[in-house]
Amino acid sequence: MIEFQHVTKKYGKGIIAVDDVSFKIAKGEFVALVGPSGAGKSTLIKMLIREEEPTSGRILVADRDIFQLREKELPFYRRKVGVIFQDFKLLAKKTVYENVAFALEVAGVLPGIIKKRVGEMLTLVGLEQRTNALSEELSGGEKQRVSIARALVHEPKLLIADEPTGNLDPVNSWEIIELLFKINKNGTIVLLATHNKEIVDAIHKRVVSMKEGKIVDDRENGKYIL
Amino acid sequence: MKSDSEFTNFLITSGRIIKMAVISFWRNRWLSLATTLIIILTLLIISVFTFLALIVNRTATSMREKVDLVVYLKENDSEDQISALSDLIGSRPEVKKIIFISKEEALNRWRARYAGDQNLQNIVNENDNPLPRSLEVKTKNPEDIEKVADFLQSEDYAPLINKLSYQQNKDMIDRLVRITSFVKKIGVGLSILFMIISILVVYNAIKLTIIARSDELEIMRLVGATDAYVRLPFVLEGVIFGVTAAIIGMIVIFVAYHFLTPVFIRYLVDIGYDVGVFMRSSLYQVVSVQFLVALLLGIFCSFWATRQHLRK
Repeated sequence: MIEFQHVTKKYGKGIIAVDDVSFKIAKGEFVALVGPSGAGKSTLIKMLIREEEPTSGRILVADRDIFQLREKELPFYRRKVGVIFQDFKLLAKKTVYENVAFALEVAGVLPGIIKKRVGEMLTLVGLEQRTNALSEELSGGEKQRVSIARALVHEPKLLIADEPTGNLDPVNSWEIIELLFKINKNGTIVLLATHNKEIVDAIHKRVVSMKEGKIVDDRENGKYIL
Repeated sequence: MKSDSEFTNFLITSGRIIKMAVISFWRNRWLSLATTLIIILTLLIISVFTFLALIVNRTATSMREKVDLVVYLKENDSEDQISALSDLIGSRPEVKKIIFISKEEALNRWRARYAGDQNLQNIVNENDNPLPRSLEVKTKNPEDIEKVADFLQSEDYAPLINKLSYQQNKDMIDRLVRITSFVKKIGVGLSILFMIISILVVYNAIKLTIIARSDELEIMRLVGATDAYVRLPFVLEGVIFGVTAAIIGMIVIFVAYHFLTPVFIRYLVDIGYDVGVFMRSSLYQVVSVQFLVALLLGIFCSFWATRQHLRK
């Protein structure tokens, strides 16, 4: 489903953020991408959502090189890839409902369908009672759940979580991880980038470890080894 | 069926884009007001100078078109003599046009000219027509009149000619030409200056909105908004600036037209064309140009601003 082929990203002169990385992710997998800050996780993710271009190498998603996509196709690719961030990226002055609906409005979806889909997603993430709260009034865990609902609203094949628990306390963090499991069970690939050792060691999933831009370890039921 | 739903989709998306633009215009209403006022000012400056240039230019043209030289002929000149004289004058390089005015034509003109005055009308009639035949000569350049006049005053032709009549329009025309070019220069200079100011102001207004909403824009892109969807509300905002300014500018121009036309008509009497009619036809020209300028200004600036700030 997703394949990194000898992907290298250099910044300026001599800084190599990602160094000849190759690995595959199959349909329905849950993969933890781990490593210390500066290991290249974020760069890898930015390339996967095409915010950055690799210096060399290819990234195939569903057998298509995503850097061959035309500018016009890019928004449609992004709708098939849900992303959640450490800083949530919500619109503070909008309600929970509006934040999720936004992603569908942008895509020209009819109001009736938006209402239905947003309702379903908010139920999935357990926020059906908080629909009309402004996002700035929410707790960190709630904010992250809104952003997950928004990421899922287009029914993506792939959900990328870039340090989703970075700003959360342990209890909230586990709630988010549980939610990611639930989403993964429904068939969505989850790529979880994190440096939270406790979580990685407890989930018993495939762990891809990065250090200084290279993959140093890749195993099923892995541990945080760095 | 599919095209139906595509159309609905298009309508819904357009609705959302328009809504975003209007909300943004209103949310920053003071900035929008200042921006719109600058555009109005620019439009008015362009319009006033266009108007002035048009009217001075028209006046100069009209003075040029006036008959330069009239050669009144003697009663006993034969048709052959007149036609020979006419050909001779017509063959001179300075002469642009020559028209023969018969006694009947002269009478008609007299009657038209004094249509309101029965006494004067009655002085002449078909049976007793003292009005002389004449040749009306138009030269290519006003300064050539005297050359032609000198030529006709020579001994050879004097016996045929009753009287030469020519106006000294040259100075007046020269002055008008100088005024036209002066008005044009000042007008073009000021217009360019204010165009640049408005472009910068509109550009900055849109840039500020973009910066204020940069979070929203980033999120829009991340959740898969197309470039057009991100960009069009800003372009539309620029169009709203332009159109609002054009409409207000138009109202100002119409009001000014209403009050100023009588003044112009009073001061510009007897210059050979109908000032009122000319003002009215120029009014529509000026207003259309104004509308177009405002619209293009809005679109250009917002495209420029969004291009710079919405890259990636």
